[in-house]
Amino acid sequence: MVAVSEAAPQIHLEHVEKTYPNGTIALRDVTLEIPKQDFVFLVGPSGAGKSTLVRLLIREEKATAGTIRVEGQDLSRLKRRHLPYLRRKIGMVFQDFKLLPNLTVFQNVAFALRVTEGALRHLKPKVEEVLSIVGLEGKETKFPDQLSGGEQQRVAIARALVHDPRIFLADEPTGNLDPATSWEIIQLLLQINARGTTVMMATHNREIVDVMRRRVVAIEGGQIVRDEDAGGYHAPALESH
Amino acid sequence: MHRLWNRIDFAFSSAWQNFWRNAAVSVASVLIVWVVLLALGSLLLVLHSLDQIVALEKTKASAISVYLADTTPLTSAMDFKLHLENDPRVTNVTYVSKDQAMARFRQLPALDPSVIDTLGTNPLPASLDVTVRDIRDLAAIDQEVRSSPLVDKSPATNYEPNVIDKIILLARVAGIAGLVLIIGLTGLSVFIIMLTIRTAIYLRRKEIEVMKLVGATDWFVRWPFIVEGLIVGVVGAAVAVLIVGFGYRPAVINLQSVLIFIPLAFDPAYLRVVLAAMLVFGLLLGSVGSYLGVRRFLKQ
Repeated sequence: MVAVSEAAPQIHLEHVEKTYPNGTIALRDVTLEIPKQDFVFLVGPSGAGKSTLVRLLIREEKATAGTIRVEGQDLSRLKRRHLPYLRRKIGMVFQDFKLLPNLTVFQNVAFALRVTEGALRHLKPKVEEVLSIVGLEGKETKFPDQLSGGEQQRVAIARALVHDPRIFLADEPTGNLDPATSWEIIQLLLQINARGTTVMMATHNREIVDVMRRRVVAIEGGQIVRDEDAGGYHAPALESH
Repeated sequence: MHRLWNRIDFAFSSAWQNFWRNAAVSVASVLIVWVVLLALGSLLLVLHSLDQIVALEKTKASAISVYLADTTPLTSAMDFKLHLENDPRVTNVTYVSKDQAMARFRQLPALDPSVIDTLGTNPLPASLDVTVRDIRDLAAIDQEVRSSPLVDKSPATNYEPNVIDKIILLARVAGIAGLVLIIGLTGLSVFIIMLTIRTAIYLRRKEIEVMKLVGATDWFVRWPFIVEGLIVGVVGAAVAVLIVGFGYRPAVINLQSVLIFIPLAFDPAYLRVVLAAMLVFGLLLGSVGSYLGVRRFLKQ
């Protein structure tokens, strides 16, 4: 086990390659450092490798070459039985929410605690706490199909927060939402970031990235083509001021 | 304690939901388990009965009953007895009168005494029960006594060569045929339980995806399906156990009334062993089937 010093980045990729069994090269020589409490946009066209990068971080996929460290832990050496504990440190939301349609809002959030054997005593206060963070008090007994898209994404965010994750990964979280609702979700992610959680958001949403002026990592053809603090969706040279 | 309870509660409630969500497939797998265990239980009991018969026939093997004609006077019978006793091959001869024969007959299990009373006269012959030193001499003695005018002609003796060999052969054939059948059915039932579990996994794929995403362990994901397989095994076994448990005694009694001279007996101690074996085998089928069902799926 590697000790995590204050200086060590929370997420560290070094010369990471990912080639799928069918020969598709998804990532080539990706080196990236993300310190604690950073807020990073991951941008790039479809198929550029954004989703692959996200999948590598929760080790849904293994890198073909290079090393990935999350919280000091080398993911290529992580044993399968330790994988669930990595996942509990990382909150994840997706474009399609991945809520269970036959469970209520409360049950959907509680599900994440139940299946990770959280003590049942602490279940109710914890679920209520995260639901109030995302502003869904009073909707506990609603089912997902009774909610708007934005509300569903809030449920997904609440579910991702129940384990007090150190890292929050959002893969196109606003992809299915209208602009106003998208901004609400972004506000929520900023709030989560302000509470000390590192946030990484893969997105196509140019407007949000440009307005936010946060760190931007751009991927194209499986390579990092740009990494700047307070960046925009496109490279500065292409932008007309 | 809370964690363990949560784990058990989650596994059982999910398993129960799975069972009813694909009820048709679940019922099919219960039925096949039931058939396997019914075959297993029946085979064990049939083989046991054949064993009982062989054991009893073996004790009778060195003796034959020579039936005397009703016209034979007692003095002639006693002379004949003396003649047989002087034979060096014979160790013992016992005279059994018609009345004694009837008294024995009345003691046969599952025979209604009132039926015998309606006969009026006693149809049973008196006999000389001859015990020999060496079983191989039985055939020669049987031949000799048949020629005596004192001896009844229909039948002359109860000598049945090779009866034990025939029963042992029957037991062996029944055992092998039953074993082949049970092995085949076992394979089939494990396969069907596996399909049931795969169906349940397919129906729960969204839940499983979320469970893995939020950090559930592999075993937490697997347990509900293993429990579902165990439920299938236990339910199938329970039905089979009830049928065999309550059916064995009536079956023995019915067979006793049909096969009066075959010594079948109800053996409750052996029945308990058979029922326990059935239950264990049912659990085994369920757990192996569901383990095979979850094994491949949860590997990434």
